[in-house]
Amino acid sequence: MLKTFLIGLKDLKIAFRDRAAIVFMLLTPFLLTIGMGLVTGRFSSNDSSGALNIPIVIVNLDNDSLGDALVEVFNSEELADLVEPTISQDAEAARTLVDEDETTVAIIIPSGFTQSIFSENINQSENIQIEFYANPSRPTSAGIVKTILDGFMARVDEMRVGSITSVAQLIISGRISPEQANAVGEEMGARFENTSTDFNETLITLNTSTNETETNEVDMLAFLAPGMALMFLMYTVSYGGRSILAEKAGGTLPRLLVTPTNSMQILGGKVFGIFLTGAAQMLILIGATTLFFQLQWGDVIGVVLLVFAAVFGATGWGLFITALARTPAQVGSVGTAVMLIFGILGGSFFEVENLPVIAQMFSKITPNAWALDGFTSLAFGGNLASLTTPLLALLTMGIVLFLISALLFGRKNLVQK
Amino acid sequence: MKKIFAIAWKDSIIRFASSSELLFFIILPIIFIFLIAGGVPTGDEDNRRRLLVVDHANTAISQELVSELENSTSVRPDVMSIEEAEEQFESRRAAAMLIIPASFDIESIQNGTAQLDFRGQPNDIDSSVAQRAVETAIRKASSVMSAANMALEEAKARGTFESSEDEQAYFNAALETAKSLQADSPERITTIQGNTPDDFDYDPQANVSAGQLITWVFIPLFGISALLAYERQQGTLRRVLTTPTSKATFLLGTISGQVVMALIQMTLLVLFAVLAFKLNWGNPIGLYIVLTCACLAAAAIGTTMGTFIKSEGQATGLSIMAGMLMAMLGGCMYPLELFPPFMQSIARIFPTTWAMQGLLDLSLRGAGVVDILLEAGVLLGFAGIFFAIGVMRFRYE
Repeated sequence: MLKTFLIGLKDLKIAFRDRAAIVFMLLTPFLLTIGMGLVTGRFSSNDSSGALNIPIVIVNLDNDSLGDALVEVFNSEELADLVEPTISQDAEAARTLVDEDETTVAIIIPSGFTQSIFSENINQSENIQIEFYANPSRPTSAGIVKTILDGFMARVDEMRVGSITSVAQLIISGRISPEQANAVGEEMGARFENTSTDFNETLITLNTSTNETETNEVDMLAFLAPGMALMFLMYTVSYGGRSILAEKAGGTLPRLLVTPTNSMQILGGKVFGIFLTGAAQMLILIGATTLFFQLQWGDVIGVVLLVFAAVFGATGWGLFITALARTPAQVGSVGTAVMLIFGILGGSFFEVENLPVIAQMFSKITPNAWALDGFTSLAFGGNLASLTTPLLALLTMGIVLFLISALLFGRKNLVQK
Repeated sequence: MKKIFAIAWKDSIIRFASSSELLFFIILPIIFIFLIAGGVPTGDEDNRRRLLVVDHANTAISQELVSELENSTSVRPDVMSIEEAEEQFESRRAAAMLIIPASFDIESIQNGTAQLDFRGQPNDIDSSVAQRAVETAIRKASSVMSAANMALEEAKARGTFESSEDEQAYFNAALETAKSLQADSPERITTIQGNTPDDFDYDPQANVSAGQLITWVFIPLFGISALLAYERQQGTLRRVLTTPTSKATFLLGTISGQVVMALIQMTLLVLFAVLAFKLNWGNPIGLYIVLTCACLAAAAIGTTMGTFIKSEGQATGLSIMAGMLMAMLGGCMYPLELFPPFMQSIARIFPTTWAMQGLLDLSLRGAGVVDILLEAGVLLGFAGIFFAIGVMRFRYE
């Protein structure tokens, strides 16, 4: 056991003395994380939570109850993460802001809008429309603002239809005379205007819930940093695997076998060395991003367990590549190729859902995808229970690959005198 | 000339000594182009947020609700079984899910017991967007019921009903009136598309093909540094010193060989994009001007790197790192237009940015030879500066 441990420790020291390896293990993922942060605006924005803050301009020419209510809705606390409204009185200036791509939408509430809804004579009232002046280069954001506006207008229409229906049914049922209709309508209209309307109130209760979380905000770096660290973990495990073949080619492996150390202890030590190096790499990167970017990785025990499981799964891949290769150079080339492919498939650069369906299926064989899923869970405030699936998947992956690799090593008589 | 050719040929033999070089030369770039270009949105598809919907009720009103969601401008409903929805939601493949319980029908709405379950991912803005869209759809689907309910309450305020049947009949009559009024309701919002100039030219196949082409050619050209370090480590550079070969001849041979190989690699990738995506790269002369200038710039940087880095291992690592970083920051992975403004300015210091700009000008903006001369000039500027540094610092030992 001690021999195995010592061989592992020796490999760890060798890895961290190799400047070329350090470039790949630590410097590259760290710099790429910074690069990703720069291009996504993580380091240039005060808000790292992903709030949309869609800029909109509201021109309230109505200056009446409904116009004011609409302004209030867009300024409500509930929509604070979605929209960033500015109030204006100049419709033409608001349209110009859209035309110059300075804002997403200009909502122009025309004069007399409220009156047109609560007109004394509904049948003769003019249909005054709210103008939704949208920026065609921002269709998604404009669509979100339109949804909010549609919701408001549906409520307004509901009140209008409700009022007319009420009066009509009261007349039909004989509860009021047709002469009283205007007075009743006016009274209802006045009631709507004078009482604060809850624009969220509906007949249907919407029970909302979110997956459990302890954190209030999630940093987008919590997706980027683990993605990069996991991608370059694949380099580290293939580097470790390459050292097995390099030691055999260099003659140090046969020399070890003339000492009172059996082949299982040697191979175990080499595998332990790969595991230690991978774990050290991940923990250093996690520590560095925590220190430099104040990144919250989540539950500490969960992070450590996930790191070990991810390194275990990745080590399995490293051994598998080594078992298939004939020369250290082959392990290096194939390992680098696998690192890059797993990086893409595992979601280090793009969300897995954005990849073709077949690629999404293959992402499940990468330790990157499972581990990234676990790290995201933890960043969202997940606990150990939320890691069950990723941990199981990574451990199973590691065990299966270890067994296959052991079989292949046995056939190749790799660790023989 | 013969010497230059001999050096270039020798480098090609060293480079392709292992068949694994083909992996990086053509196989991986094609896999990456396929994976990324095959997955990124084209801009023509539905860009609304996906909302998982589980309809246990399957009643007229639940279908009306789904129909309202389909009309939403911000979400698109994806109706599926609860197992499938749970699986997708738990694996974070969707920001939100809506569950319509079996008890959801007209009666439950009328008596105020109708409930819907909405589940959103924590701290996910798409979840907030989806919730807004669901609330709007609920409002629209239930507005006539609300109106009828309001009419019933007004009637109750003016006297009681003789029986529950009378009350129900009153409600039903009010519902019909409300439906009729709703159908005749005028459109309250007029949508006008602004005159914003859409200067964000984006075509996923063109962007990804150009981006990957640059990435996968810049990395091996930066790898000239590893080639120089390898020869220095092996002592073969010292041996060249004993032959009547000048520094310039040696460097020219090394660089021209790598540049020619890079141009062959680029041609293969250009053809792949033409065959796979029917991509029009634009003016062919302009295309090869940009490609050649980009190759020269990358080769010059690789040469300069080779004069600073001592070992082959370090040179390989640093070449890949520099290549990936420059590709990322130069807009080869994500469109430059989506970068924060200050990063768009900083990106101009990278040759990858100019190479990308040139290729996109040709393929997306229909530029001609004259239009890409600026990009070509800047790339040649990079090449001149870095070649000068490289030649000045180059030592055989």
